[in-house]
Amino acid sequence: MIGQIGRATRLKASALLYGLGFFYTVLRETVRFFRKSQVGYKVLIMQILFTGYEALAINAIMAIAIGAAINVIGSSLLPQFGQSQLMYTILIIVITRELGPLLTAFVITARSGTAIATQLGTMVVNHEIEAYMAVGLNPVSYLVVPRFIGVVVSMLVLTVYFNIFGLLGSFIVVQIVKPTPIMEYLAALMSTLTVSDVLSGLLKAFVFGVVVSVVATYQGFSVNRASTEIPVAGIKAVGLSFILIIVADVLITLVQYA
Amino acid sequence: MPESSPAIELSGVTASSGGFEILSGTTVSFPEGLCSVVMGAAGSGKSTLLKVAAGLVVPDSGSVSFRGADMARFGRRDEFAFRATTGFVFQDAALWADTTILGNVAMPLRVHRHHLGEKAIAEAVRQLLGRLGYDESLTIRPAELSAGEQKLVSIARAVIHEPSIIFMDDPTSNLDEDAVEKVFSLLDELRNKKRTIIVVANSSDLAFRFADRLGVIKAGKMVAFGTYDATVSSAEAALSTSLARLRARGNRARAPADDAGAENSQRGDV
Repeated sequence: MIGQIGRATRLKASALLYGLGFFYTVLRETVRFFRKSQVGYKVLIMQILFTGYEALAINAIMAIAIGAAINVIGSSLLPQFGQSQLMYTILIIVITRELGPLLTAFVITARSGTAIATQLGTMVVNHEIEAYMAVGLNPVSYLVVPRFIGVVVSMLVLTVYFNIFGLLGSFIVVQIVKPTPIMEYLAALMSTLTVSDVLSGLLKAFVFGVVVSVVATYQGFSVNRASTEIPVAGIKAVGLSFILIIVADVLITLVQYA
Repeated sequence: MPESSPAIELSGVTASSGGFEILSGTTVSFPEGLCSVVMGAAGSGKSTLLKVAAGLVVPDSGSVSFRGADMARFGRRDEFAFRATTGFVFQDAALWADTTILGNVAMPLRVHRHHLGEKAIAEAVRQLLGRLGYDESLTIRPAELSAGEQKLVSIARAVIHEPSIIFMDDPTSNLDEDAVEKVFSLLDELRNKKRTIIVVANSSDLAFRFADRLGVIKAGKMVAFGTYDATVSSAEAALSTSLARLRARGNRARAPADDAGAENSQRGDV
């Protein structure tokens, strides 16, 4: 029993060390990626198109709906406490600091995290990774780094979009409940919005992007030889990403508010 | 460089996968400028031997050297230079599924001869695939091709940049007779150019026609390796059904390479 616990702990520790080593390699190769001309730029552009551009619609719809929901709830609850003026503060804090980066990260995990893990896993099984090595391309710099950069950049851009569309959704509800000129609505928002709100959201977006891309590529490469391992890699990529995103979110929030 | 000097040497190499030992202290030296063919039953460790020799699989123990340099000590530049000098044909083609046929075959040129420019690279790809009898479009994806056509494309990808060492894992599997002849013509050409060719194969035809050096691998051990005649007539080879087929074919026209460097003939693991 104790031996089993010891073996399991050793395996977990060695997997953690391996994962940290993988993360370090990705960071090192990312620096190199920008220093020299790379055939990987095409992969980077494709990744930004898939992760960023193609997720715009779902992200926008979700943001509008969330913005509207916050406004509906806020405008029915806050007056009961005589705190109607807090509506804009709550909107800004909830959307830019919390839900914008968090929900965008969930969307990217579900769409791109699984896609990256299963795609890389399939490449491992079909020996495509070895084929890249055989022609002299480093799989980390050619396959992982463009996906890493692509996901992080997309995450940042999509978070900004989420914020804009979230506030737009709220504006739509405002027009129904209590019609307000757009300039007045924007002025109220801007007077509440602080630089730290924006930076906080972007910091979370950056960290979540790093988490999703590194976990997905790591899980993809962890496939060994059987095609049955590929969906498992996808599932693990999603599960682990969700956990790490929430942990990172709590830690960043604690640092900011503690 | 003398014809018989080793291009790739494996010394006491052990390799495993998933907890199973696949190569067990294998020692073999593939001479420069010759065609070495290694035969063995399925699961004997042929593909792993080839991948270890090509630096695609890191051995658990033992050493692999390229022209005398220990590959374990290769830095990034050494590794890149080694890849520019070598080509690898995978058993199951291993074409990049999300890349066109042109993109697949052009990749080694884009990586190692990017100064050529896209137009010259595309022309080189077209010419080589034409010689191999490939007559499909260059803009389609590998999934649209038959297994045989994929193999031809894979062979083209391995030789497009004119490497001096070519590793081939069962290059004629999945090919029809016409395609096999085209591959044999290419092998003839590579052999005439004194390229180092290291093939693992089940095809006795290929060994009979091209092997300057012939090896037999069994349960991860190289039980025989030497000139074609020496290996075919060796006691260990008597245990190999592949070599029994070669024995049954009788003597072949003696290739000059059978004499050159014959003193280098060896048996593995000795």
